[in-house]
Amino acid sequence: MDLLKVDGVTVEFGGIVALSGLTFNVQQGDICGLIGPNGAGKTTVFNVLSRIYEPTQGSVTFDGVDLLGVEAHDIAKLGIGRTFQNLALFPSMSLLENVMVGAHSKGRVGFVRAITRFGVRREDRQLRETSMALLEAFGLAQLAAHPAAGLPFGTLKRVEIARALAAKPKFVLLDEPASGLTHSEVDELADTLVRVRSEFNLTMLLVEHHMSMVMKVSDKIVVMEFGRKIAEGTPAEVRDNPEVIRAYLGTDA
Amino acid sequence: MALVTIKRNSPQHIAVRVLGVLLVVIAVLWVPTKMTTGNIDSMTNALALVIAASALNLVIGYTGLISIGHSAFFGIGSYATGVLVSKYGWGHGWSMIFGALLAFVFGFIVALPALRIKGIYLALVTLAVAVLFPTMMKWPKLEWLTNGARGISGIRYEELPSLPFLGELKGRDDRTVFFYWYAIMLVIITVLVCRGIVKSRMGRALIAIRDNEIGAEVMGVNLATTKTLVFGVSAALTSLAGSLSVARTGVVTADGANLTLIGSIVFLVVMVVGGAATITGPIIGALVYVWVDNYTRTASASGEGLIGWLFDWSAVSPASIILSVALIVLMFVAPDGVFGLVRRLARRVVVIK
Ligand SMILES: Nc1ncnc2c1ncn2[C@@H]1O[C@H](COP(=O)(O)OP(=O)(O)OP(=O)(O)O)[C@@H](O)[C@H]1O
Ligand SMILES: [Mg+2]
Repeated sequence: MDLLKVDGVTVEFGGIVALSGLTFNVQQGDICGLIGPNGAGKTTVFNVLSRIYEPTQGSVTFDGVDLLGVEAHDIAKLGIGRTFQNLALFPSMSLLENVMVGAHSKGRVGFVRAITRFGVRREDRQLRETSMALLEAFGLAQLAAHPAAGLPFGTLKRVEIARALAAKPKFVLLDEPASGLTHSEVDELADTLVRVRSEFNLTMLLVEHHMSMVMKVSDKIVVMEFGRKIAEGTPAEVRDNPEVIRAYLGTDA
Repeated sequence: MALVTIKRNSPQHIAVRVLGVLLVVIAVLWVPTKMTTGNIDSMTNALALVIAASALNLVIGYTGLISIGHSAFFGIGSYATGVLVSKYGWGHGWSMIFGALLAFVFGFIVALPALRIKGIYLALVTLAVAVLFPTMMKWPKLEWLTNGARGISGIRYEELPSLPFLGELKGRDDRTVFFYWYAIMLVIITVLVCRGIVKSRMGRALIAIRDNEIGAEVMGVNLATTKTLVFGVSAALTSLAGSLSVARTGVVTADGANLTLIGSIVFLVVMVVGGAATITGPIIGALVYVWVDNYTRTASASGEGLIGWLFDWSAVSPASIILSVALIVLMFVAPDGVFGLVRRLARRVVVIK
């Protein structure tokens, strides 16, 4: 079953066409790789899916819902989590609090309940436990009380994944999760993603420049160039596709 | 490394906290029993600033929305109490509640531009609100309500309800002591509201908005409702300070310092000097402000000492000048305010883990 259907999506910025008629589907339970040279439009796809960019054309359906009719802050409620290529953490908050905010869409305490303290402690206690467990799963437990500001990029990329999982999403969008990691850490991350996928029953859309990692973990790969899809298939199919080789190695290859 | 490490929620930690609360209670009781009438009055003034600066802290310190229009919300409370008590015979309590509701609505409306604009542009919109408010109150067409430029005076105050344990404290000057307790009650309400919001899912959402708006939104924080509601709550609390001040002085004029742009700046300075984005900061800031205000006022009036020599030309209190300079210095040595500085120094001695 297709969890996500992107159909003919076009995004323009002034004169620049960042996506032009992009169409692809993501199957329930798959890890779908999304690759392409710099500026191909991968992050733009993510921003369309989290309703930050408004497409000029096309439709997006997620789990039977017309995604383009949903407001940005309701995307999390639908079960979509994401990370950011250049981080969108909350620097002054501790890692634990960052992950706790990740579960905002699941929380119930509004202003009135916060002021009257009705059920606040219970919500916070449960949230703290589940968030702590997530930090542990990503090997960050000992940094739980540390503010996000001042930690290495690679560590913060992992915090973002933990935060994206805090609301127990069905679908996560990971924008270059391996950037800033060493070789062994990349391998470790690949294992973690596969493990987390089965543990949380997740579907993933993965943007990554580390080719070996994408090839290893993806069930399917979509290749983009200049805002268009140029190839789609299993890792093996994509690797041997002449269009893809040309896009990555230049015109003569 | 710290000299002592205390475990969170250990007996020692609880003992330290109990001691802290005890010291605050003693200080609160000490003021009306041992201080002179004039000093009690200054404390009440400080408490009004605590309320306004704490309220402003919710918007600026936690949410990162710049407002220099909070003097208008102070003014709404002031005029609500002034008009309703003197012209319509309302009690102070009801006039204060009405003022808070009105301020909530206005705060909500003022926050609407904050949904589209940020930073300096939002500051400009709120600046316009601060400038407009006193002008509106002096508008001849509203004179039937506000008495125009003359303002409203002779606003009666209600007697302190004769609670047994307060009878003793009323001893010297009913009115002054009454308003001191009135102010303490409102400060407690304000601190409980601010603390309640901050230590909850909504408080984390506010800080998330301040730290990274897109990140917050993707996590499911509704930026529009969160910003407008926190602005409304902040405005309502600020209006309490306005109602309190009018009850205390019995006078409201459109040019009263806290109702004009100066008021907004004072709230801001108190918040920043004390320590933004902390509950304790605005309390310390207000005490420092009023202390400096009183000290320099007497010193410059008598013309004695350095302060006197520097400021004997100044008709008004030089506190705002001194604090503005202090603010500049503080931004370099302790951008987290006096409370932040004290907390950092304390952590060298004791760490709570
Ligand atoms: N907010 C924006 N305003 C203007 N142009 C934009 C905006 N966002 C993206 N673009 C443009 O759209 C194109 C696609 O950018 P995008 O960030 O999606 O690429 P990408 O595939 O993620 O690249 P990279 O691998 O470098 O992250 C680029 O030409 C970029 O300059
Ligand atoms: Mg990108």
